[in-house]
Amino acid sequence: MFIRLQQKLKNQGTPQSSKNIALLLLAAILVCVSFSLFASILIWILLLVACAAVIRGAIYYNYYRHLPSIRTLNLLAVLSILGLIYSALSDGLLFGMVNLLILACALKLMQMRSQKDVYQLVISLFFLIGCGFIFNQSIGFSLFYALMCMALLLSLACYHAPSNTMHKQLKTVSILSLQALPIGLLMFLVLPQLSPLWHTPKSKGAQTGLSEQITPGDIATLSQSSELAFRATFEDTPPIARRRYWRAIVMEDFDGKTWKVHAYRHKLREFQLKTKQQFKPKLTGPFFDYEVIAEPTNQPWLFALDIAVPADTQSRRNIMQSSDFLLFNRQPVVSKYQYAVRSYPEALANQALTVTDKQINLRLPETGNNRTREWVSNLRAKFQDNNKFVEAVLSHFIDNPFVYTLRPDVMLVDPVDRFLFDNQAGFCSHYASALAYALRLGGIPARIVTGYQGGELVENNGKSPYLSIYQYDAHAWVETWSDNAGWQRIDPTALVSPDRIEFGLQQAMLEEGSFLADSPFSLARLANIVWLNNIRLFLADIDYNWSRWVLGFNSQKQRDLFKSILGKLTPERLSILGVGIVFTIGMLLSLFFLPHWLQNRLGTTQHLYIKALHAFAKAGTQRANWQGPTAFSQHINEHYSHKVSDPFSQLTQLYLRLTYQKKQSTGTSVLSIKQCHRLMRGHLARLKTELLKSKA
Amino acid sequence: MTLLQSYWNKWLNKRIPAASQHHLNHHNIFIFPAKFGLLFLSLCVLLFLLGTNYQNNLMLLLCYFLLAIFLVNLLASYINFARIDLQIGKCHEVFVGDNLQIPLWLNANIDNNNRAKSATKGLLHFKFQTNQHKSTKKTKFRHDQQSTEVDADALTNPIYLSQKCHQRGKLTLSRVTVQSFYPLGLYRCWTHLAFIHEITVFPKPLPCEIQLHINDNNSAKKSGGIANEQAGHDDFSHLKAYQVGEPLNHVAWKQLAKGRGMVSKQFSSISNQIGWLKLSTDYKNKALSPSIVLDTELDNLALDKIALDKELGELCYQVIELSRTQRTFGLDLGPQCIAPNSGAGHRLACLLALANFTEASP
Repeated sequence: MFIRLQQKLKNQGTPQSSKNIALLLLAAILVCVSFSLFASILIWILLLVACAAVIRGAIYYNYYRHLPSIRTLNLLAVLSILGLIYSALSDGLLFGMVNLLILACALKLMQMRSQKDVYQLVISLFFLIGCGFIFNQSIGFSLFYALMCMALLLSLACYHAPSNTMHKQLKTVSILSLQALPIGLLMFLVLPQLSPLWHTPKSKGAQTGLSEQITPGDIATLSQSSELAFRATFEDTPPIARRRYWRAIVMEDFDGKTWKVHAYRHKLREFQLKTKQQFKPKLTGPFFDYEVIAEPTNQPWLFALDIAVPADTQSRRNIMQSSDFLLFNRQPVVSKYQYAVRSYPEALANQALTVTDKQINLRLPETGNNRTREWVSNLRAKFQDNNKFVEAVLSHFIDNPFVYTLRPDVMLVDPVDRFLFDNQAGFCSHYASALAYALRLGGIPARIVTGYQGGELVENNGKSPYLSIYQYDAHAWVETWSDNAGWQRIDPTALVSPDRIEFGLQQAMLEEGSFLADSPFSLARLANIVWLNNIRLFLADIDYNWSRWVLGFNSQKQRDLFKSILGKLTPERLSILGVGIVFTIGMLLSLFFLPHWLQNRLGTTQHLYIKALHAFAKAGTQRANWQGPTAFSQHINEHYSHKVSDPFSQLTQLYLRLTYQKKQSTGTSVLSIKQCHRLMRGHLARLKTELLKSKA
Repeated sequence: MTLLQSYWNKWLNKRIPAASQHHLNHHNIFIFPAKFGLLFLSLCVLLFLLGTNYQNNLMLLLCYFLLAIFLVNLLASYINFARIDLQIGKCHEVFVGDNLQIPLWLNANIDNNNRAKSATKGLLHFKFQTNQHKSTKKTKFRHDQQSTEVDADALTNPIYLSQKCHQRGKLTLSRVTVQSFYPLGLYRCWTHLAFIHEITVFPKPLPCEIQLHINDNNSAKKSGGIANEQAGHDDFSHLKAYQVGEPLNHVAWKQLAKGRGMVSKQFSSISNQIGWLKLSTDYKNKALSPSIVLDTELDNLALDKIALDKELGELCYQVIELSRTQRTFGLDLGPQCIAPNSGAGHRLACLLALANFTEASP
């Protein structure tokens, strides 16, 4: 007990005490990092963090002198952990862990007394930054976290050299980081990218993007968002705009108002996940490959054109094919997710229709929308042939003055009736819903597919083109089954507003002005101002490359990289590469080391004089401890021939002058310091040769 | 354990021989990840696992960057530590029981222009290497106390290391352990330096009466020979030409005023007689305070030692006092005798003899 007390006293007396700026820095870092995770941190924990930071600040600036006692903090810790268990239990393991980590950091910050506490906090903060990358991966956040890392290193440096100036500390830390960066990058590029070792808990964020049900009207809210949905990189030219139907969700359950994903499909998918059984569609016809980088949606749905299959090993491992020809990930997409797929645009027509499929796709609510029922039965009576019937239904959209609008009236009762015969104004989901309903009434299996349509094409010279698909590209269309042609895509919107399909939503809404009406300053809305658009495209391009090359770097790309370096991947070449990398790292390290060896610790003047002394020592004359430079010079005069002693006495004089003369007087003297050094070098050289000669 | 230690010491003596100046380089620097460094490594492992499991490249990048920082730090901390240049300075004379302040000059040769570029930075911890063979908790704690923390950025040369002197005689200075965690605390650089020194610990002076044994040519009676020195017994004897260095209060100012030049008064007194300080042969039986004698736990040998030390302490006091008053005296320690003399050199010789006195084994 006594010893601990003593040590505590001692610790407070040392430079590494609570007055160190490092602790303040740590507090600031904790605040910044935890606020960057705002969305997934409980508010009261953030408050606790703020409290801890305020305590540190108060102690640093001497407003307050005492740390809260250990007992108080222990009580606080117990209470907060109870609170955390209560409020975070329902939100998944990851959420709870991150909150717990931040809570622990905050408490540690409050009670930080000894060196050990500081170290623990630093390690926890590094780990917290690592966790931050799970939630935020954009360039901005990455730069922010890099900055935080630097600040952490800086605080460590401040802790170990308390009286160095901030400027010097910054210099030290940045030199260290600059030296470490190439090595780190090299390791990142070269060390094997492993596949996940075990299943990890994922965060449960708010789901974004498409939802699993639409009541006509939903996609309109999405169309007001200019956020990125995903990007797709094509090796060759991408399909033309009219063909870019990105399927995401198929809805087959209609209750008269709302379309939903059918419960049968849900069950089937769960079964697939459990048994790890892939659904295998028939793959026929031409195909093309592309890569998709999806933004986090917290949903399992992935996006692909027509019928698609995962194209590389990693995608194959994680992505499942469902029975309605959709791709879904094993786990919800919580961070940017890159996958490679191969699409078969003509394969949709060649799939089979099972009995259950048919049942599901014909099921209808018993009552409601009576006018439509009547209309369809009339039409059906007229056109017995399925194709003719479909055409007749579609011609209803063409013949009547239908309007494509993002601001339709609300239709609460019998929405299909009111849309088809009264309002005749709506957007994609209205059209799709009405058409699918009508076809089902006519006995033709039909369903709604939601996803995205179109996308902004970016073509840079020499690079593969890519499409950016934004939330406002969200779309809904219909797939119908015909016995001789299989599944067919019918997009009623295309009939009403061909611009929407050919040129995108912005063009289609040009007259109405409702494109992104809620966010008037969104860059996408201001696309017709050229320079603003250029900035937008530039930012998008950077973001794309960041996602593709940094976030999307995987074992496949690593192998490609090795291939491009080595030509062929043979074990010998790989081992040579490994040796080369180790060698490179060694070289880099020795490069950083070199200045130390080359550094002249004593200054040139001293160095040259000492060299001369060494020369004499070799020749057998050691300068005695008590001999000053002048005395030694005299000694040499007496013992050596003038050929040796002359250069030495001159050298000594120069040495004395440079070392002991006042600065001002040397400034006015005839010879500058550099010239003196040159002279000294000359004398030294002469001295050495003469000594060698006399020896010989 | 002790065998291992003796090997270790032998190896250290060979590896880092004692010197008055140490320039640190790869011969005498030890470097190993500190506890924090190991913690840091485990953080890297954790980040790697997390990054792999989440397939998160940024986390992996962070992990590799930290790993690279760890690697680069090895050099950085070595370079910083290798800039240390330590030189032992001159000490004051020291007596048993004193706290000896040993001055160490850090990088004293580097001029101020070069200091910013090539001086050591960060905190340095100086400590005497613990004598492990008696590393009970108590001694350990005491040694912890002796650790001196120096901030190389705000340095006032020399650095004083304090060591308590427990034994008279030539000081056994244990190796000085210097360690540094700069720049980030990931590595511990340390070295055990042995310094050549000429420090002798003199016996602790014990105030007592001054007993000069005057050796007359025909000294018949022993007790009469003891001259008790008392103040005011000095008598003026004659004048002498002043010599530089003589105390000014001996100058005969009246003579100077009369224009006879600087002359100094010479005094003759009993004290001027040459006397001997003697180590009494029967110190073992006398002068022990009853409290120590009663302490039965001490055996005879230890008792003898205490008695000898007391005797030597008293002699030491007398030597210092006599030298202060510039008296001429000799020292008779039985086996070793120092001829009567005076002055600083004589004083030092006497003190050294007292410090190094070992009784011939009977």
